[in-house]
Amino acid sequence: MLGQVIVSGLLAGALYAMVALGLGLIFGVMRVLNVAHGPLLMLGAYITYWLFSAVGLNPYLSLLVSMPVVFVIGVGLQHFLVRRVVDAPELSSLLLTFGISIALVNFAQLAFTSDLRSVEFITGSFLIGPFAFSKARVIACLFAAVITALAFLFLQKTRLGKAIRAVSQSREVAQVCGINVHRIHMLAFGLASALAAAGGTLMTVMVAIQPEMGAVYTFKSFLVIVLGGAGNYPGALLGGLLLGLVEQLASLFLTTQVNEAVAYVLLVLVLLLRPTGLLGGRST
Amino acid sequence: MAAILQVRNLVKRFGGVTAVNRVSLSLEAGKIYGLIGPNGSGKTTLFNCITGIEASDSGAVGFKGRRIDGLKPHQIFHRGIGRTFQIIRVFPELTALENLLVVTTGDFAPARQRAEELLRFVKLEALADEYAGNLSYGQQKLVEFIRVLMTDPELILLDEPAAGVNRTLLNELLEAVKALRDRGKTIFLVEHDMKVVMGLCETVFVLDHGEKLAEGPPGVIQADERVIEAYFGR
Amino acid sequence: MKHWTRWFPPALALALLLLSVYPLWATGYGIRVMLQLFMWIALAQSWNLISGLTGYVSFGHVAFFGMGSYATAILVVKGVAWPLAAVGGGVMAVVLAFVIGWPCLRLKGPYFAIAMLGLNEVLRVMASYFEGLTGGGLGLSLPTLDASVRIYYAMGLVAVAVTGLTYLIVTSRFGLRLMTIREDEVAAEAMGINTFRYKIYAFLLSAAAPGIVGGLAARDMGYIEPISVFPLVTTITMIVMVLFGGKGTIWGPVLGAVILFTFQELVWAHFPHAHQVLLGAIIVTVVLVMPRGILGVLQQKYNLPRTV
Repeated sequence: MLGQVIVSGLLAGALYAMVALGLGLIFGVMRVLNVAHGPLLMLGAYITYWLFSAVGLNPYLSLLVSMPVVFVIGVGLQHFLVRRVVDAPELSSLLLTFGISIALVNFAQLAFTSDLRSVEFITGSFLIGPFAFSKARVIACLFAAVITALAFLFLQKTRLGKAIRAVSQSREVAQVCGINVHRIHMLAFGLASALAAAGGTLMTVMVAIQPEMGAVYTFKSFLVIVLGGAGNYPGALLGGLLLGLVEQLASLFLTTQVNEAVAYVLLVLVLLLRPTGLLGGRST
Repeated sequence: MAAILQVRNLVKRFGGVTAVNRVSLSLEAGKIYGLIGPNGSGKTTLFNCITGIEASDSGAVGFKGRRIDGLKPHQIFHRGIGRTFQIIRVFPELTALENLLVVTTGDFAPARQRAEELLRFVKLEALADEYAGNLSYGQQKLVEFIRVLMTDPELILLDEPAAGVNRTLLNELLEAVKALRDRGKTIFLVEHDMKVVMGLCETVFVLDHGEKLAEGPPGVIQADERVIEAYFGR
Repeated sequence: MKHWTRWFPPALALALLLLSVYPLWATGYGIRVMLQLFMWIALAQSWNLISGLTGYVSFGHVAFFGMGSYATAILVVKGVAWPLAAVGGGVMAVVLAFVIGWPCLRLKGPYFAIAMLGLNEVLRVMASYFEGLTGGGLGLSLPTLDASVRIYYAMGLVAVAVTGLTYLIVTSRFGLRLMTIREDEVAAEAMGINTFRYKIYAFLLSAAAPGIVGGLAARDMGYIEPISVFPLVTTITMIVMVLFGGKGTIWGPVLGAVILFTFQELVWAHFPHAHQVLLGAIIVTVVLVMPRGILGVLQQKYNLPRTV
């Protein structure tokens, strides 16, 4: 039983980690807390849904569509809106992304209605020994792991990736080194949005799709960033896995409703006791 | 004379960088001390640790015989230590007068009187009701300076008081600092302008890469080879 | 601008006079509309107390409204007279503010905002969970009572009280200290201001009125359920009203409340989602173009004192 819970936790955690990495990128590079992260996830989910119902496209293949499309949306948001508040007090960027998120969610409600939708594509479980794991979850975890690994390779090995890390550490120094900070900001926001969209796509086969589905993931992504430490990208990975574990363990003892409160209490606790994150990052 | 401030083996790390590395120093009451060192040597960090804005990783800070490390900034302020900042930190949407009044507790009338007195002292009484954010750089600097004096602290930390200030204003500031010393206050200033340091300070501490390199009267420090090396390289 | 200081107080007195005799000739519908306007003024002013003055954005402020609603409803069902029950709602809201504020206000601004984001949902879930007390998802019904006119006056009283409180705060040293937290929290701490304590004070004060008007609203509607008293759109509307009118000012929230309430009455009833899209767009626009709100811009342009 415990083994099942732990592995379930890690499976869920991989997805959290991938989505949270996106949020962490935006915060690390621009010190902006993107409240609109969840709605971007939701957009990815709807893209997958529509492709599936219109042309029967394999949801996993639609990653190739949802990620680039939302990437572009993210770049647009950054270029036209977020850019103007990057240097303003953090309050401004919070309110701005909050406003964007409201607009996006309600726009989705107008366009798609709040009817719950889902993608019926994969059912059943893999049976490994005494454990049973929902196929959808396992595949989602695999994809999430691969995408996250690719993201990390990008950050570590490519020139652009290193530029992103440089800007995360010090914008002034990066500028002096000739890095076009604005382009890096756009890239980071775009990447982050793509990661969120990937999360949304992968979730279409597991959860109900509705306009407000993203909000809880915004919050959980914040929690993961706080757990792993702001600006600490590998920390986001561990934070995601940790959150997945804690949630699954908590579900053994508590009803699903109260599970929401678990994430919340955890956030407040960590912020109070170790604001720089369990692994140490920067404090604001 | 008794030491008013004692720093013992203070250490402050930021991630992999040790900004302050086992620094110890001792200040006697009623003197003017200087803290110099190349950029990034840890001077402002040391100030931040003394005033509680940063929590030191190890070491002790004692003020008037009592430990103050670990206290919050506002508590340290009320013990009698005031400071100014390297980048001016007046409250822009408060008027000059309000900037001064907001740090006081207790009766309003005497506080207001003192505020107006200090404004007259630096010849800014006409701008008392102007929003601090609208004042010029030099005027803001003066407001920040007299704000520190509002509660009559015994130890005053000045972080680069001469930066960006024209000569006339600077001379007035320096005269004010000397007057404070003559009244028994202790002043500790971080400064890059060597003329200011040499002309004003009785003892100078030198920091380099977070470590205390040297300490002594200005003339001695100026001639110290290690200090010259730290600033200009080999 | 001296004209302003001369005609404003009499104009204000006239407005208050008219509003107090309004119920004599107004229709039931008219009374309920104004009653809601008063409620929004009280909510906006309260949000301004914490978020406008100290700069700590409270994204979960509707929590206090909902808390007040539930506390009052429960008390009324148990036989307590509604005015007293509404005060009880206010008290419970302040208690909630203390419980949340004590841990959360130690966090720096952005982190506090995140913590408040999740609060809404948690409370809604908890209201459903404690069914025995709150009636769970089925909601709570109050004994029927037509007290619209009395509630009109009660709401009006709260709106006036909160505006008056804001005036007192903004013109005092207490208010100055709150503002330093917004201006430069580190410098404020260094200058001897115990920012934590002041944040708590502001937070508690900002929870009282929402609690009371939440209770009054519950009494007026006669029936509450979790989704109706903890809706995110209430917080959003509060925020837009204050941002638009001018955060940190005394009359900004009133102005914003009046304008947006009118807008809401016209659009919201027919197009709820389009309305919210517009709210989001307004927030984005105000933050980018007019961060100080209408009144803030006017204050800057004509160099008006803070008390305007």
